[in-house]
Amino acid sequence: MLTRAAGPVVLARGEWPAGPVDVPGSLPQIAGFVVSAFNPLVAQAAERCLAAHYGAPPADPPTTRTGVVLASVRGDTATADAVTAALRAGRRVPPLLFFQSNPNAVVGYVTARWGLAGPVACTSPAGDPLTDGLAVAALLIEDSAADQVLVIAADLATDDTESDHAVAVLVGP
Amino acid sequence: MADKVVVTGLAAHSAFGRGSSALLARAFTGEPAFGDVTRFDAAARRTTVAATMPGTPVLADELVSVIEDASRVAGLAGAPDCPLLLAGHADRANIATAAEVARRVGLAVPARTYTAACVAATTAVADAAAMIATGRQDRVVVAAGFIVAEDIFALFDAGRALARDGRVRPFSAGRQGMVLGDAFAAVVLESATSAALRGADVLVTLAGWGRSGDAYHVCQPRPDGTGLARAITAALTKAEVEADEVGYVNANGTGTLFNDSAEAAALHIALGDAVGRIPVSSTKSVHGHALEASGLLELVCTVLALRSGRLPVNAGFLGVDDDCLLDLIVDEPRATDARYALSVNAAFGGANTALLVGAP
Repeated sequence: MLTRAAGPVVLARGEWPAGPVDVPGSLPQIAGFVVSAFNPLVAQAAERCLAAHYGAPPADPPTTRTGVVLASVRGDTATADAVTAALRAGRRVPPLLFFQSNPNAVVGYVTARWGLAGPVACTSPAGDPLTDGLAVAALLIEDSAADQVLVIAADLATDDTESDHAVAVLVGP
Repeated sequence: MADKVVVTGLAAHSAFGRGSSALLARAFTGEPAFGDVTRFDAAARRTTVAATMPGTPVLADELVSVIEDASRVAGLAGAPDCPLLLAGHADRANIATAAEVARRVGLAVPARTYTAACVAATTAVADAAAMIATGRQDRVVVAAGFIVAEDIFALFDAGRALARDGRVRPFSAGRQGMVLGDAFAAVVLESATSAALRGADVLVTLAGWGRSGDAYHVCQPRPDGTGLARAITAALTKAEVEADEVGYVNANGTGTLFNDSAEAAALHIALGDAVGRIPVSSTKSVHGHALEASGLLELVCTVLALRSGRLPVNAGFLGVDDDCLLDLIVDEPRATDARYALSVNAAFGGANTALLVGAP
Protein backbone atom coordinates (compact mmCIF):
# COMPACT_ATOMS: atom_id res chain seq x y z
CA MET A 1 0.00 0.00 0.00
CA LEU A 2 1.31 3.45 -0.89
CA THR A 3 1.61 5.92 1.94
CA ARG A 4 2.12 9.66 1.79
CA ALA A 5 5.81 10.49 2.04
CA ALA A 6 6.76 11.83 5.46
CA GLY A 7 8.90 14.53 3.85
CA PRO A 8 12.09 14.99 1.90
CA VAL A 9 14.68 12.20 2.10
CA VAL A 10 18.29 12.73 3.13
CA LEU A 11 20.65 12.44 0.16
CA ALA A 12 23.90 13.27 1.99
CA ARG A 13 25.10 14.42 5.38
CA GLY A 14 28.15 16.14 6.82
CA GLU A 15 28.99 17.54 10.23
CA TRP A 16 31.59 19.21 12.37
CA PRO A 17 32.98 17.91 14.64
CA ALA A 18 32.88 14.40 13.17
CA GLY A 19 35.77 12.81 15.03
CA PRO A 20 38.70 13.34 17.36
CA VAL A 21 40.67 15.36 14.80
CA ASP A 22 37.97 18.02 14.72
CA VAL A 23 39.20 20.08 17.62
CA PRO A 24 38.81 23.82 18.24
CA GLY A 25 41.08 25.78 15.93
CA SER A 26 41.21 23.08 13.26
CA LEU A 27 38.49 24.45 11.00
CA PRO A 28 39.83 25.59 7.62
CA GLN A 29 39.73 29.37 7.37
CA ILE A 30 37.74 31.07 4.61
CA ALA A 31 39.27 34.02 2.80
CA GLY A 32 37.57 37.25 3.83
CA PHE A 33 36.05 35.90 7.03
CA VAL A 34 37.76 36.81 10.29
CA VAL A 35 37.48 36.68 14.09
CA SER A 36 34.64 34.18 14.42
CA ALA A 37 34.52 30.39 14.00
CA PHE A 38 30.88 30.57 12.95
CA ASN A 39 31.44 31.00 9.23
CA PRO A 40 34.20 28.35 8.87
CA LEU A 41 31.96 26.03 10.89
CA VAL A 42 29.02 26.48 8.52
CA ALA A 43 31.25 26.17 5.46
CA GLN A 44 32.94 22.99 6.68
CA ALA A 45 29.72 21.15 7.48
CA ALA A 46 28.35 22.17 4.07
CA GLU A 47 31.59 21.11 2.37
CA ARG A 48 31.50 17.64 3.91
CA CYS A 49 27.86 17.13 2.97
CA LEU A 50 28.15 18.42 -0.59
CA ALA A 51 31.43 16.58 -1.23
CA ALA A 52 29.74 13.35 -0.16
CA HIS A 53 27.05 13.93 -2.76
CA TYR A 54 28.80 15.70 -5.63
CA GLY A 55 32.50 14.97 -5.16
CA ALA A 56 34.64 18.04 -5.84
CA PRO A 57 32.98 21.46 -6.31
CA PRO A 58 31.11 22.80 -8.15
CA ALA A 59 27.96 20.72 -8.40
CA ASP A 60 27.87 19.21 -11.85
CA PRO A 61 25.83 20.56 -13.47
CA PRO A 62 25.32 23.82 -11.51
CA THR A 63 21.72 24.01 -10.44
CA THR A 64 19.11 26.70 -9.91
CA ARG A 65 16.90 24.15 -8.17
CA THR A 66 18.97 23.54 -5.03
CA GLY A 67 18.23 25.93 -2.19
CA VAL A 68 20.03 26.52 1.11
CA VAL A 69 18.56 26.92 4.59
CA LEU A 70 20.89 28.01 7.41
CA ALA A 71 19.33 27.58 10.85
CA SER A 72 21.15 28.97 13.87
CA VAL A 73 19.54 29.58 17.24
CA ARG A 74 21.94 32.33 18.30
CA GLY A 75 23.68 33.26 15.05
CA ASP A 76 27.26 34.48 14.86
CA THR A 77 27.65 35.60 18.45
CA ALA A 78 31.43 35.93 18.11
CA THR A 79 31.15 38.55 15.37
CA ALA A 80 28.44 40.41 17.28
CA ASP A 81 30.59 40.40 20.42
CA ALA A 82 33.62 41.64 18.46
CA VAL A 83 31.62 44.62 17.18
CA THR A 84 30.34 45.41 20.67
CA ALA A 85 33.84 45.17 22.12
CA ALA A 86 35.28 47.50 19.46
CA LEU A 87 32.60 50.09 20.12
CA ARG A 88 33.04 49.91 23.89
CA ALA A 89 36.80 50.35 23.54
CA GLY A 90 36.40 53.23 21.11
CA ARG A 91 38.21 51.22 18.44
CA ARG A 92 37.44 51.15 14.74
CA VAL A 93 35.10 48.35 13.70
CA PRO A 94 37.02 46.07 11.29
CA PRO A 95 35.47 46.50 7.81
CA LEU A 96 35.37 42.74 7.17
CA LEU A 97 32.92 42.34 10.04
CA PHE A 98 30.41 44.30 7.96
CA PHE A 99 30.24 41.53 5.40
CA GLN A 100 29.98 38.69 7.88
CA SER A 101 27.54 40.42 10.23
CA ASN A 102 24.64 38.53 8.71
CA PRO A 103 24.33 34.80 8.02
CA ASN A 104 23.72 35.25 4.29
CA ALA A 105 27.38 35.99 3.65
CA VAL A 106 28.69 32.51 4.38
CA VAL A 107 25.75 31.02 2.49
CA GLY A 108 26.91 33.14 -0.45
CA TYR A 109 30.36 31.60 -0.08
CA VAL A 110 28.93 28.06 -0.11
CA THR A 111 26.54 28.67 -3.00
CA ALA A 112 29.15 30.40 -5.16
CA ARG A 113 31.67 27.61 -4.54
CA TRP A 114 29.18 24.84 -5.34
CA GLY A 115 27.01 26.55 -7.95
CA LEU A 116 23.79 26.25 -5.99
CA ALA A 117 21.44 29.01 -7.18
CA GLY A 118 18.14 28.06 -5.54
CA PRO A 119 16.40 30.06 -2.79
CA VAL A 120 18.32 31.10 0.35
CA ALA A 121 16.76 31.23 3.80
CA CYS A 122 18.41 31.93 7.16
CA THR A 123 16.58 31.52 10.44
CA SER A 124 16.79 31.63 14.23
CA PRO A 125 14.59 28.66 15.18
CA ALA A 126 12.80 28.42 18.49
CA GLY A 127 13.20 24.65 18.63
CA ASP A 128 15.74 22.14 17.34
CA PRO A 129 17.50 23.91 14.45
CA LEU A 130 17.94 20.87 12.20
CA THR A 131 14.31 19.83 12.63
CA ASP A 132 13.10 23.33 11.88
CA GLY A 133 15.51 23.75 8.96
CA LEU A 134 14.12 20.55 7.47
CA ALA A 135 10.60 21.91 7.87
CA VAL A 136 11.58 25.06 5.94
CA ALA A 137 13.18 22.86 3.28
CA ALA A 138 10.07 20.70 2.97
CA LEU A 139 7.96 23.79 2.41
CA LEU A 140 10.35 25.07 -0.29
CA ILE A 141 10.09 21.76 -2.10
CA GLU A 142 6.31 21.51 -1.71
CA ASP A 143 5.99 25.10 -2.96
CA SER A 144 7.99 24.09 -6.07
CA ALA A 145 10.64 26.67 -5.21
CA ALA A 146 13.38 24.00 -5.10
CA ASP A 147 13.98 20.34 -5.92
CA GLN A 148 16.72 19.87 -3.35
CA VAL A 149 17.71 21.86 -0.27
CA LEU A 150 20.95 21.97 1.69
CA VAL A 151 19.97 22.43 5.34
CA ILE A 152 22.71 23.58 7.71
CA ALA A 153 22.16 23.79 11.47
CA ALA A 154 25.03 25.54 13.22
CA ASP A 155 25.71 27.18 16.55
CA LEU A 156 28.77 28.28 18.43
CA ALA A 157 29.42 26.83 21.87
CA THR A 158 27.91 28.83 24.71
CA ASP A 159 30.40 27.65 27.34
CA ASP A 160 33.45 25.47 27.86
CA THR A 161 31.38 22.33 28.36
CA GLU A 162 30.25 22.17 24.75
CA SER A 163 31.75 22.44 21.28
CA ASP A 164 30.92 24.56 18.29
CA HIS A 165 28.80 22.25 16.20
CA ALA A 166 27.19 22.11 12.77
CA VAL A 167 25.38 19.50 10.75
CA ALA A 168 24.47 19.77 7.08
CA VAL A 169 22.07 17.55 5.18
CA LEU A 170 21.11 17.63 1.53
CA VAL A 171 17.48 16.64 1.10
CA GLY A 172 15.30 15.96 -1.88
CA PRO A 173 11.87 14.55 -2.59
CA MET B 1 -6.38 23.73 -6.94
CA ALA B 2 -4.49 25.85 -4.43
CA ASP B 3 -6.49 28.53 -2.67
CA LYS B 4 -5.62 32.13 -3.45
CA VAL B 5 -3.57 34.02 -0.88
CA VAL B 6 -4.90 37.44 0.08
CA VAL B 7 -3.80 40.28 2.34
CA THR B 8 -6.49 41.32 4.80
CA GLY B 9 -4.45 43.40 7.23
CA LEU B 10 -1.33 45.50 7.25
CA ALA B 11 0.39 48.15 9.33
CA ALA B 12 3.69 49.96 9.39
CA HIS B 13 5.65 52.18 11.74
CA SER B 14 8.54 54.14 10.31
CA ALA B 15 10.36 57.44 10.66
CA PHE B 16 7.26 58.99 9.04
CA GLY B 17 5.24 57.95 12.07
CA ARG B 18 2.92 55.17 13.10
CA GLY B 19 0.34 54.12 10.55
CA SER B 20 -0.23 54.04 6.83
CA SER B 21 -1.57 57.56 6.47
CA ALA B 22 1.81 59.10 7.26
CA LEU B 23 3.45 56.99 4.59
CA LEU B 24 0.86 57.97 2.01
CA ALA B 25 0.93 61.64 2.90
CA ARG B 26 4.67 62.24 3.07
CA ALA B 27 6.67 59.30 1.79
CA PHE B 28 4.82 59.03 -1.50
CA THR B 29 5.64 62.63 -2.44
CA GLY B 30 9.35 61.91 -2.21
CA GLU B 31 10.00 63.73 1.03
CA PRO B 32 12.73 61.77 2.83
CA ALA B 33 12.54 61.19 6.56
CA PHE B 34 16.29 61.53 6.95
CA GLY B 35 18.04 63.49 9.67
CA ASP B 36 20.94 63.39 12.06
CA VAL B 37 20.92 60.42 14.41
CA THR B 38 20.48 61.47 18.02
CA ARG B 39 19.96 58.15 19.84
CA PHE B 40 23.73 57.48 19.81
CA ASP B 41 26.86 59.40 19.00
CA ALA B 42 27.58 59.03 15.28
CA ALA B 43 30.11 61.86 15.09
CA ALA B 44 32.99 59.51 14.38
CA ARG B 45 31.26 57.95 11.39
CA ARG B 46 31.49 59.03 7.76
CA THR B 47 27.83 60.10 7.91
CA THR B 48 25.49 60.93 10.77
CA VAL B 49 22.22 60.52 8.86
CA ALA B 50 19.45 57.93 9.21
CA ALA B 51 15.65 57.77 9.15
CA THR B 52 14.72 57.34 12.78
CA MET B 53 11.59 57.44 14.86
CA PRO B 54 11.67 59.75 17.89
CA GLY B 55 13.57 58.39 20.88
CA THR B 56 14.74 54.80 21.01
CA PRO B 57 12.00 52.35 20.07
CA VAL B 58 11.82 49.04 21.94
CA LEU B 59 11.72 46.14 19.46
CA ALA B 60 9.16 43.97 21.26
CA ASP B 61 6.87 46.94 22.03
CA GLU B 62 6.82 48.10 18.42
CA LEU B 63 6.28 44.58 17.07
CA VAL B 64 3.35 44.07 19.42
CA SER B 65 1.89 47.42 18.40
CA VAL B 66 2.24 46.85 14.66
CA ILE B 67 0.82 43.31 14.88
CA GLU B 68 -2.18 44.63 16.82
CA ASP B 69 -2.67 47.39 14.23
CA ALA B 70 -2.54 44.93 11.32
CA SER B 71 -4.95 42.58 13.09
CA ARG B 72 -7.36 45.46 13.66
CA VAL B 73 -7.22 46.37 9.95
CA ALA B 74 -7.94 42.71 9.18
CA GLY B 75 -11.04 42.87 11.36
CA LEU B 76 -9.66 40.37 13.81
CA ALA B 77 -10.66 41.52 17.26
CA GLY B 78 -8.18 40.29 19.85
CA ALA B 79 -5.64 37.69 18.81
CA PRO B 80 -5.75 36.70 15.14
CA ASP B 81 -5.58 32.98 16.10
CA CYS B 82 -2.94 31.78 13.64
CA PRO B 83 0.82 31.22 13.35
CA LEU B 84 3.13 34.20 13.64
CA LEU B 85 6.36 34.50 11.65
CA LEU B 86 8.91 37.15 12.61
CA ALA B 87 11.86 38.64 10.75
CA GLY B 88 14.78 40.44 12.34
CA HIS B 89 18.52 40.61 12.71
CA ALA B 90 20.30 37.36 13.57
CA ASP B 91 20.69 37.80 17.30
CA ARG B 92 21.04 35.64 20.39
CA ALA B 93 17.99 37.42 21.83
CA ASN B 94 15.65 36.36 19.02
CA ILE B 95 14.05 33.48 20.90
CA ALA B 96 13.29 35.64 23.93
CA THR B 97 11.95 38.47 21.76
CA ALA B 98 9.76 36.12 19.74
CA ALA B 99 8.39 34.53 22.92
CA GLU B 100 7.60 37.91 24.48
CA VAL B 101 5.88 39.25 21.35
CA ALA B 102 3.84 36.06 20.93
CA ARG B 103 2.73 36.11 24.56
CA ARG B 104 1.69 39.76 24.41
CA VAL B 105 -0.34 39.38 21.21
CA GLY B 106 -1.84 36.08 22.33
CA LEU B 107 -0.29 33.84 19.66
CA ALA B 108 1.83 30.71 19.79
CA VAL B 109 5.59 31.24 19.91
CA PRO B 110 6.84 31.52 16.30
CA ALA B 111 8.69 28.47 15.01
CA ARG B 112 11.48 30.73 13.85
CA THR B 113 12.66 34.27 13.23
CA TYR B 114 13.78 34.85 9.63
CA THR B 115 17.23 36.42 9.55
CA ALA B 116 18.28 36.38 5.88
CA ALA B 117 19.40 40.02 5.87
CA CYS B 118 17.51 42.21 3.40
CA VAL B 119 15.19 39.40 2.25
CA ALA B 120 14.40 38.15 5.77
CA ALA B 121 10.87 39.57 5.89
CA THR B 122 9.99 38.81 2.29
CA THR B 123 11.21 35.24 2.72
CA ALA B 124 8.86 34.98 5.70
CA VAL B 125 6.03 36.32 3.51
CA ALA B 126 6.83 33.75 0.81
CA ASP B 127 6.84 30.95 3.38
CA ALA B 128 3.57 32.20 4.86
CA ALA B 129 2.04 32.28 1.39
CA ALA B 130 3.31 28.76 0.72
CA MET B 131 1.80 27.54 4.00
CA ILE B 132 -1.57 28.92 2.92
CA ALA B 133 -1.36 27.84 -0.72
CA THR B 134 -0.46 24.27 0.29
CA GLY B 135 -3.39 24.13 2.71
CA ARG B 136 -1.25 23.94 5.85
CA GLN B 137 -2.70 27.14 7.28
CA ASP B 138 -5.71 29.36 6.68
CA ARG B 139 -4.05 32.49 8.03
CA VAL B 140 -0.52 33.62 8.96
CA VAL B 141 0.70 36.89 10.46
CA VAL B 142 4.15 38.10 9.38
CA ALA B 143 5.89 40.88 11.28
CA ALA B 144 9.35 42.40 11.07
CA GLY B 145 11.32 45.03 12.91
CA PHE B 146 14.58 46.91 12.57
CA ILE B 147 15.94 49.66 14.79
CA VAL B 148 18.86 51.81 13.72
CA ALA B 149 21.35 50.95 16.47
CA GLU B 150 24.92 51.97 17.13
CA ASP B 151 26.45 48.59 16.28
CA ILE B 152 24.71 48.18 12.93
CA PHE B 153 25.40 51.81 12.05
CA ALA B 154 29.09 51.33 12.84
CA LEU B 155 29.24 48.11 10.80
CA PHE B 156 27.67 49.70 7.73
CA ASP B 157 29.91 52.72 8.14
CA ALA B 158 32.98 50.47 8.36
CA GLY B 159 31.85 48.69 5.21
CA ARG B 160 31.50 52.06 3.46
CA ALA B 161 27.93 51.17 2.58
CA LEU B 162 26.35 54.42 3.80
CA ALA B 163 25.84 57.45 1.56
CA ARG B 164 28.15 60.23 2.70
CA ASP B 165 25.75 62.82 1.30
CA GLY B 166 22.95 61.49 3.51
CA ARG B 167 20.58 60.68 0.62
CA VAL B 168 19.51 57.46 -1.05
CA ARG B 169 19.53 57.96 -4.82
CA PRO B 170 18.29 54.69 -6.34
CA PHE B 171 19.25 54.13 -9.98
CA SER B 172 20.64 57.67 -10.20
CA ALA B 173 23.93 58.93 -11.47
CA GLY B 174 26.02 60.02 -8.49
CA ARG B 175 24.45 57.60 -6.02
CA GLN B 176 26.64 56.99 -2.99
CA GLY B 177 24.95 54.22 -1.02
CA MET B 178 22.40 53.54 1.66
CA VAL B 179 20.77 55.42 4.50
CA LEU B 180 19.50 53.19 7.31
CA GLY B 181 15.95 53.56 8.62
CA ASP B 182 13.76 52.27 11.45
CA ALA B 183 10.84 50.11 10.39
CA PHE B 184 8.24 47.84 11.90
CA ALA B 185 5.62 46.26 9.71
CA ALA B 186 3.07 43.48 9.86
CA VAL B 187 0.75 41.83 7.35
CA VAL B 188 -2.10 39.38 7.79
CA LEU B 189 -2.09 36.79 5.00
CA GLU B 190 -5.10 34.59 4.58
CA SER B 191 -6.66 32.13 2.18
CA ALA B 192 -9.33 33.70 0.02
CA THR B 193 -11.76 31.13 1.36
CA SER B 194 -10.99 31.99 4.97
CA ALA B 195 -11.35 35.71 4.28
CA ALA B 196 -14.66 35.18 2.47
CA LEU B 197 -16.05 32.95 5.22
CA ARG B 198 -15.58 35.65 7.83
CA GLY B 199 -16.55 38.49 5.48
CA ALA B 200 -13.17 40.17 5.67
CA ASP B 201 -12.20 42.94 3.27
CA VAL B 202 -9.45 41.84 0.91
CA LEU B 203 -6.85 44.57 0.50
CA VAL B 204 -4.92 42.83 -2.30
CA THR B 205 -4.15 39.33 -3.46
CA LEU B 206 -0.63 38.01 -3.03
CA ALA B 207 -0.79 36.72 -6.56
CA GLY B 208 2.74 35.36 -6.80
CA TRP B 209 6.00 34.97 -4.96
CA GLY B 210 9.42 33.87 -6.11
CA ARG B 211 12.88 33.41 -4.65
CA SER B 212 16.26 32.56 -6.05
CA GLY B 213 19.97 32.61 -5.34
CA ASP B 214 22.83 34.14 -7.30
CA ALA B 215 25.52 31.55 -6.43
CA TYR B 216 27.95 34.36 -7.04
CA HIS B 217 29.49 36.20 -4.06
CA VAL B 218 29.31 36.71 -0.30
CA CYS B 219 28.01 40.25 -0.58
CA GLN B 220 27.80 41.44 -4.18
CA PRO B 221 24.87 40.73 -6.49
CA ARG B 222 25.42 38.84 -9.73
CA PRO B 223 26.07 41.82 -12.06
CA ASP B 224 24.09 40.43 -14.99
CA GLY B 225 20.92 40.25 -12.86
CA THR B 226 20.08 36.70 -13.90
CA GLY B 227 19.62 35.49 -10.32
CA LEU B 228 17.16 38.20 -9.34
CA ALA B 229 15.41 37.86 -12.71
CA ARG B 230 14.61 34.23 -11.88
CA ALA B 231 12.86 35.29 -8.67
CA ILE B 232 10.75 37.85 -10.56
CA THR B 233 9.92 35.35 -13.29
CA ALA B 234 8.96 32.76 -10.69
CA ALA B 235 6.53 35.21 -9.07
CA LEU B 236 4.94 36.08 -12.42
CA THR B 237 4.73 32.42 -13.42
CA LYS B 238 3.10 31.40 -10.16
CA ALA B 239 0.52 34.16 -10.64
CA GLU B 240 0.07 33.39 -14.35
CA VAL B 241 0.54 37.11 -14.98
CA GLU B 242 2.34 38.51 -18.03
CA ALA B 243 5.00 41.19 -17.64
CA ASP B 244 2.89 43.79 -19.43
CA GLU B 245 0.15 43.38 -16.82
CA VAL B 246 2.52 44.72 -14.13
CA GLY B 247 1.89 48.40 -13.51
CA TYR B 248 4.47 49.23 -10.84
CA VAL B 249 7.71 47.95 -9.38
CA ASN B 250 8.80 48.90 -5.88
CA ALA B 251 12.44 48.11 -6.48
CA ASN B 252 15.08 47.00 -4.00
CA GLY B 253 16.95 50.15 -5.11
CA THR B 254 19.45 50.49 -2.29
CA GLY B 255 21.27 53.37 -3.92
CA THR B 256 24.50 51.40 -4.06
CA LEU B 257 26.50 51.18 -7.25
CA PHE B 258 26.44 47.39 -7.51
CA ASN B 259 22.85 46.71 -6.51
CA ASP B 260 21.08 49.18 -8.71
CA SER B 261 22.78 48.27 -11.99
CA ALA B 262 22.31 44.53 -11.32
CA GLU B 263 18.68 45.09 -10.41
CA ALA B 264 18.02 47.15 -13.54
CA ALA B 265 19.52 44.31 -15.58
CA ALA B 266 17.26 41.84 -13.77
CA LEU B 267 14.15 43.91 -14.47
CA HIS B 268 15.06 44.08 -18.17
CA ILE B 269 15.53 40.30 -18.32
CA ALA B 270 12.38 39.39 -16.39
CA LEU B 271 10.02 42.03 -17.82
CA GLY B 272 11.39 42.13 -21.36
CA ASP B 273 10.08 44.83 -23.66
CA ALA B 274 7.43 45.80 -21.09
CA VAL B 275 10.07 47.20 -18.75
CA GLY B 276 10.12 50.56 -20.52
CA ARG B 277 6.40 51.02 -19.81
CA ILE B 278 6.42 50.00 -16.13
CA PRO B 279 6.90 52.79 -13.56
CA VAL B 280 9.63 52.02 -11.02
CA SER B 281 10.61 53.57 -7.73
CA SER B 282 12.44 52.51 -4.60
CA THR B 283 10.74 53.68 -1.44
CA LYS B 284 14.05 53.21 0.36
CA SER B 285 14.74 56.65 -1.12
CA VAL B 286 12.46 58.11 1.56
CA HIS B 287 12.19 55.61 4.45
CA GLY B 288 15.75 54.34 4.23
CA HIS B 289 16.97 50.78 4.35
CA ALA B 290 15.47 48.85 7.25
CA LEU B 291 17.53 45.71 6.48
CA GLU B 292 15.66 42.62 7.72
CA ALA B 293 12.38 44.58 7.96
CA SER B 294 12.71 46.66 4.81
CA GLY B 295 11.00 44.23 2.47
CA LEU B 296 7.86 44.20 4.62
CA LEU B 297 7.69 47.99 4.82
CA GLU B 298 8.14 48.07 1.04
CA LEU B 299 5.38 45.50 0.59
CA VAL B 300 3.09 47.74 2.66
CA CYS B 301 4.05 50.73 0.46
CA THR B 302 3.36 48.64 -2.65
CA VAL B 303 -0.09 47.65 -1.41
CA LEU B 304 -0.86 51.27 -0.49
CA ALA B 305 0.23 52.36 -3.97
CA LEU B 306 -2.02 49.86 -5.70
CA ARG B 307 -4.99 50.67 -3.50
CA SER B 308 -4.59 54.46 -3.65
CA GLY B 309 -3.89 54.55 -7.39
CA ARG B 310 -0.85 56.68 -6.63
CA LEU B 311 2.73 55.55 -7.17
CA PRO B 312 5.47 56.85 -4.86
CA VAL B 313 8.39 58.95 -6.02
CA ASN B 314 11.92 57.62 -6.43
CA ALA B 315 13.50 60.45 -4.45
CA GLY B 316 17.01 61.81 -4.69
CA PHE B 317 17.36 61.40 -8.42
CA LEU B 318 20.18 63.49 -9.89
CA GLY B 319 20.45 62.20 -13.44
CA VAL B 320 20.38 59.20 -15.73
CA ASP B 321 22.79 56.31 -15.24
CA ASP B 322 23.06 54.39 -18.50
CA ASP B 323 23.33 51.15 -16.53
CA CYS B 324 19.94 51.81 -14.90
CA LEU B 325 17.57 52.70 -17.74
CA LEU B 326 14.12 52.38 -16.19
CA ASP B 327 10.88 54.38 -16.18
CA LEU B 328 11.64 56.01 -12.84
CA ILE B 329 9.03 58.15 -11.05
CA VAL B 330 11.24 61.11 -10.28
CA ASP B 331 9.14 64.27 -9.86
CA GLU B 332 5.79 63.62 -8.29
CA PRO B 333 3.55 60.65 -7.50
CA ARG B 334 2.10 59.12 -10.63
CA ALA B 335 -1.54 58.13 -11.01
CA THR B 336 -2.17 54.50 -11.88
CA ASP B 337 -4.94 52.03 -12.49
CA ALA B 338 -2.51 49.12 -12.39
CA ARG B 339 -3.88 45.73 -11.41
CA TYR B 340 -0.52 44.23 -10.44
CA ALA B 341 2.59 45.52 -8.69
CA LEU B 342 5.90 43.90 -7.84
CA SER B 343 8.00 44.36 -4.71
CA VAL B 344 11.56 43.22 -5.34
CA ASN B 345 14.32 42.57 -2.80
CA ALA B 346 17.87 41.29 -2.85
CA ALA B 347 20.36 40.59 -0.09
CA PHE B 348 23.90 39.62 0.79
CA GLY B 349 24.79 36.12 -0.21
CA GLY B 350 22.84 36.52 -3.45
CA ALA B 351 19.42 35.90 -1.90
CA ASN B 352 16.56 37.33 -3.98
CA THR B 353 12.79 37.59 -3.58
CA ALA B 354 9.91 39.00 -5.60
CA LEU B 355 6.34 39.46 -4.36
CA LEU B 356 3.52 40.21 -6.79
CA VAL B 357 0.37 41.82 -5.42
CA GLY B 358 -2.85 42.19 -7.35
CA ALA B 359 -6.00 44.27 -7.03
CA PRO B 360 -8.71 42.18 -5.37
